[in-house]
Amino acid sequence: MPELYLRLLNRILTPVLLLLALFLLVRGHNLPGGGFIAGLMAAAAFELQILSRGHQRVRRAIGPYLNSGIGLGLAVAICSGIFGLMEGHFFQGKWFEMNMPLLGHVEFGSPILFDLGVFLVVVSFATSYLLGLSRISDGAAFRSEDVDLPPAPDDARPNFSVETDQSSKESAS
Amino acid sequence: MLAASVGLFLISGVILFLLQPERRAWAGWLSAVPPLAVTTWQLLVSLPFLGSEAGSSSRTAELVNGAIRSEQYSWIESLGMSLSFRLDGLSLLFGLIITGVGAAVALYTHYYLENDKRQGYFYLALFSFMASMLGLVWADNLLTLFVFWEGTSITSYLLIGYKHDSAAARGGARNAFIVTAGGGLALLAGLILLGQESGSYTISEIVSRPGLTELPLFPVILVLILLGAFTKSAQFPFHWWLPGAMAAPTPASAYLHSATMVKAGIYLLARLHPALSDHPLWLWSLLIFGGITMLLGSVVAVRHWDMKALLAYATVSQLGVLTTLLAFRSEAALLAVVVGILAHALYKGPLFLVAGIVDHAMGTRSLGRLAGLRHSLPVTTAIAVLAGVSMAGLPPLFGFVAKESLLESFFGAAEHGDLTGWIALGAAAAAGAFFVAYSMTFLWDAFLRPVAQDESLTVTPGAPHRRAPTPVLHAPAAPFVAAPLILVACGTAAPFVLGPLSGFFTLAAGSISGSKIDKHVSLWHGFTPALFTSIVAIALGVVLFLNRDLLRRSLLRMPRRIRGVVLFQRTLDTIYTLAQITARLSQGYTLATQSAIVLLAAFVPVAVALRHIRLNDLMPDTTVLAGSSETILILMTIVSAYVTVRVRTRLGAIISIGVVGVSVTLFYVFFSAPDLALTQLLIEVLTVVLLVLVFTKLPPDTRPPMQRLKQFRNLLVALAAGAFGFFLVLFNSSVVMQAGQTIGGYFLHNAVPGGHGANVVNVILVDFRAFDTMGEITVLAIAALGGYALLNAPRVRLPARSEPAQDKATEQERRRGTSGEDS
Repeated sequence: MPELYLRLLNRILTPVLLLLALFLLVRGHNLPGGGFIAGLMAAAAFELQILSRGHQRVRRAIGPYLNSGIGLGLAVAICSGIFGLMEGHFFQGKWFEMNMPLLGHVEFGSPILFDLGVFLVVVSFATSYLLGLSRISDGAAFRSEDVDLPPAPDDARPNFSVETDQSSKESAS
Repeated sequence: MLAASVGLFLISGVILFLLQPERRAWAGWLSAVPPLAVTTWQLLVSLPFLGSEAGSSSRTAELVNGAIRSEQYSWIESLGMSLSFRLDGLSLLFGLIITGVGAAVALYTHYYLENDKRQGYFYLALFSFMASMLGLVWADNLLTLFVFWEGTSITSYLLIGYKHDSAAARGGARNAFIVTAGGGLALLAGLILLGQESGSYTISEIVSRPGLTELPLFPVILVLILLGAFTKSAQFPFHWWLPGAMAAPTPASAYLHSATMVKAGIYLLARLHPALSDHPLWLWSLLIFGGITMLLGSVVAVRHWDMKALLAYATVSQLGVLTTLLAFRSEAALLAVVVGILAHALYKGPLFLVAGIVDHAMGTRSLGRLAGLRHSLPVTTAIAVLAGVSMAGLPPLFGFVAKESLLESFFGAAEHGDLTGWIALGAAAAAGAFFVAYSMTFLWDAFLRPVAQDESLTVTPGAPHRRAPTPVLHAPAAPFVAAPLILVACGTAAPFVLGPLSGFFTLAAGSISGSKIDKHVSLWHGFTPALFTSIVAIALGVVLFLNRDLLRRSLLRMPRRIRGVVLFQRTLDTIYTLAQITARLSQGYTLATQSAIVLLAAFVPVAVALRHIRLNDLMPDTTVLAGSSETILILMTIVSAYVTVRVRTRLGAIISIGVVGVSVTLFYVFFSAPDLALTQLLIEVLTVVLLVLVFTKLPPDTRPPMQRLKQFRNLLVALAAGAFGFFLVLFNSSVVMQAGQTIGGYFLHNAVPGGHGANVVNVILVDFRAFDTMGEITVLAIAALGGYALLNAPRVRLPARSEPAQDKATEQERRRGTSGEDS
């Protein structure tokens, strides 16, 4: 069971991190930030969730959307290029300007959409790896008798032999 | 209107898809409306241009530059690409076939695929195909033509592979796609060369330009374009994909593989005929490949029991005939091409549809299993007979007119003492005999043959036994039969209205040659040598038909391994084997070896560059030497990197590698690169967390000490990698580089006006270099899928050391885990 302070911290930090990610994504075109950074920031938020609440809960909540998030991100990125294709070149930037009631003068263009695609791919990619690795590390209480491996070639690290009763363990926890 | 018609098909495909046509009885009729509307429009537009008699040209409206209609829309101006459409005689001929036969096939599909859940999907693919095909024949720009050409390849792949749970359909679709798309690549190269060399991408300008054949690159252009056309039109040696594509549902076979798509190659040859045909290479390649295809197709057709396979080979042979005709430049030959194309669409289309009806009603389409269908399916039999007799080329049907005009044109060439004319004539006569033989086999075995009681007829080894007439399992609905009936009625009526039709023919043939044509076709020519040749061919055909079992047996003796499909499959297998060998040679080492290869490979170009550069030039600008704070940072980085390597515990290594990362982040901060700093910091955080996650669970390190040789290799690789980074930075900051043109200035100046963003790094990522980023996120996506497969694989849960296979799995797992620290 994760420590209490981590769970308390998580409640405050996760929304802050996610908002920060959104903030970085939106302002990225003019100030430091952007889809890549925002994606990593959001992944950090999910990592905090994984550490504090266990990977199963996170997996249940967002796991099914990760692979489709990658595909969606790629699709969004490609579609943003098609706007430019109509004008002349694939990925040629196309911009709209308008005056919004609250936000004032707003510029929106296909590169912003592209950035959104990058964000989606990065956050799904990173979270997918984090979930996968934490599953392994959660289940992988390495048995000492597995350490004397057959002579490993080269610089091999000790084998990732995973306990057989891992699945039962998982369901228990 | 032309572009709108193409758009209409795209939209109606989507509408039909959303409509769930399998649930609505009227969907078949509805689907026939768009093609019929476009057919009507084409007829209305072109009617004023069809001078019915030669003398009445005063009535005929004048063509503008030889075109009935032309439209142009700008598309990618920077590449000189425009969507331009042009309707002339040849496009009209093809357009009418596409929409006319398309209407019948659309109606037919609803009944053929009744109760099929994926009928809407089929309609979507079918109508997309129609749109591509129409765009292809109406295009007046080489690149527009190519876009639609590829469109037909892709949609036909979807149509052939419609029954995706059958291996035959998947294989046939794949083979057809590889062949036609491969030819498409050659075609693209040929078209671009043609466009560059002739100075224009507009087809109507290219074909009216003289002297193209004298270009030095002309043979290359010609060969590339011919490759494209031959693969699409199933010419030898690519003919075998067409029978393989018969795994498609019958409406697709009838439409794509007899009336339209395979004619695309013929269309291309006809379209570029004036520009390319004045060259011996054109004449001989078309003559030889067309002749071989014609003979091969017609001979092999006799062998097949499957109705669709027989028709497929018959189509191959007819395509060979058309190619051979296009080798010649005479008016008669061009006219014969036009008549041949129309006649073929009007008899082969219905025959395929009939095969589909028989299949649907009887549950089989094997000639060996069918007999006496004239009792059970009288209307279908009537259609089959009319179309089949036309296919055989017997008078007074349309096929006869087509064959007469083709023999006539070969005689015309032969009379001038031309060797090529004799070759073509001989091949056509021989093929004509086989045309008769397979047409009669088709009609007799399935429809006319009385109930076969004589088992001795089935002498062919391995052939299914002939049985009594199969009972009708499922009587065909009236509209189902109506579709081929309408087509065959048009075909049957055609020879008797040749007068009004000839204006249409001459218009089409005239737009192939680029000049007005005064020849006319007629049903009865009098006793000409062509007629005698025809009679001899028919007689020979009847003899062949009577001996068809003998013929089948001898054809079956042909060794399997020389068949196109088998050869192709073998080639594919070889490619896969080569890929495996390559992978085995270059992959699968330990992580250290693998990364040593990559790092050393990266170092090689730097080493080569160093040999060409004086070291003095690399000296950095001394005015920007490091200050005290940077010096501290540098020392911190070096110390923590050293600690990472030397420290004994894993947690220590993780912490010190985190320190390295943070120091590098601080460098970015000092040199005002906030974006890089942010990215680096986040990556460091995630990496450290990941490493802690994984490494704390690892058992203590009990490996034996590393061998000396390996240590030495690792040292060498580490030095090379360090030198790589070091010199790369030196190159970049050297006086020489700074003095020259750098791209940085461009980005700085254009970020705000061009990219609408003040954050230059981000603008570069998402705008200036969006292609690179696209590539990177694609790599990320693939890596994520790979990681997902490895990290979530159930085999990870299995205990190690039970089976060798699992050892491999865990070894892969180990690699994944150790490479996690790189990310």
